[in-house]
Amino acid sequence: MVGRPLTEQELIERARRGDQDAYGDLVHAYQGIAFRTAYLLTGNAADAQDAAQDAFVKAFYALGRFRRGAELRPWLLRIVANEARNRRRSAGRRVNLALRAAAAVPSGGAAPSPESSVLDSERHGALLDAVNGLREEEREVVACRYFLELSEEETAETLGLRKGTVKSRLSRALAHLREHMEADDV
Amino acid sequence: MSELELALTRIGRDLDYPDAPELVAPVRQRLAEARRPRSWRRPLVIALAVLVVAVVAVMAVPQARSAILDWLGIGSVTVRYVEELPKLERTGDLGLGDEMSLSETRERASFPIKVPMIEGLDDPKTYFRGEIGQVSFLYGSEDDPKLLITQVIGTGTLEKLLHETNIQVITADGARGAWLSGGEHVLFLPGLGEQRFVGNVLILERPDGVTTRIEADVSKDEALRIYRSMR
Repeated sequence: MVGRPLTEQELIERARRGDQDAYGDLVHAYQGIAFRTAYLLTGNAADAQDAAQDAFVKAFYALGRFRRGAELRPWLLRIVANEARNRRRSAGRRVNLALRAAAAVPSGGAAPSPESSVLDSERHGALLDAVNGLREEEREVVACRYFLELSEEETAETLGLRKGTVKSRLSRALAHLREHMEADDV
Repeated sequence: MSELELALTRIGRDLDYPDAPELVAPVRQRLAEARRPRSWRRPLVIALAVLVVAVVAVMAVPQARSAILDWLGIGSVTVRYVEELPKLERTGDLGLGDEMSLSETRERASFPIKVPMIEGLDDPKTYFRGEIGQVSFLYGSEDDPKLLITQVIGTGTLEKLLHETNIQVITADGARGAWLSGGEHVLFLPGLGEQRFVGNVLILERPDGVTTRIEADVSKDEALRIYRSMR
């Protein structure tokens, strides 16, 4: 007889009771976004790996305080973000994100002409440079909201901010990016 | 979404992320390592509580106390006797991490922080040390600490290196631990390679796994009173 896969809530309940197999399934499900979140906040692969791993260990011990029925992803990402920010501050390093080499052809949509591909790639590179140059608090909300594609609520919970603060920081960040891109076009 | 926001979303999909590591196995290994000592330490606590008097007597002999205490672990703290304390410079740096508000510290800590309710003292400065997830309340200054309370969760985060210090195994309100007094010892952070001298200290592991250290030039009873005031 083949049993149905456990739901996330069932896995959480089992993990709360110390079932490490169940917790392993949750780690497996979220390790990708946890690592990407940590990488966006630290800018360093080794720090991101350590931060994500430490976060999953701490989250296991903190599961007892996880509110039943709440969304696990933002709760986990908040622990990841805390670990990642602490490592970045300790290292005193500035985050400098880069595009993949293959990103010369933008993802999605109809096949563009070679000229427009190069133009888009240059614009994206310039925009990413501008993001890298933002203040830390603005860059973090941009990274969570747009690069990780989290909702505003998830961004707020991940970064430990109020939703209104996320909105205002995003607004400021977008204004700065527009200014930067307009200055580049001149 | 505006054109700019759409462009940012597209950039997010084209970022040069390093290959994501496999985390399931290392996380499970760490959880297993953290649980392993508890399985044999817990029953031993009961035996230790009964045998406190005998232990104190045996501690008069350095070789014997080394053999007894080499394994003694209390939550995040491992206690070891050493032949000689390391020679350290007294820098006035307590290694507490970043000073921040209590609310910000609560957001960062992965466990419920308990706050001391002590009448007659100013509010403490609050610190968070991210590498080890340690929360600290400091009364006085780093140069002249009157009372330092730290809370941390996990195992193997801190080591105590003792030479002439006395140790008394105690329990309080469901927590277990020890009172270290009578001579300076060294607090060592293995993961960070940092160490400093410490005087009297009460170490207690709460039932939820959080280890509390209360470091001050006070009696054991006073330290326990401070511990019991924490809410």
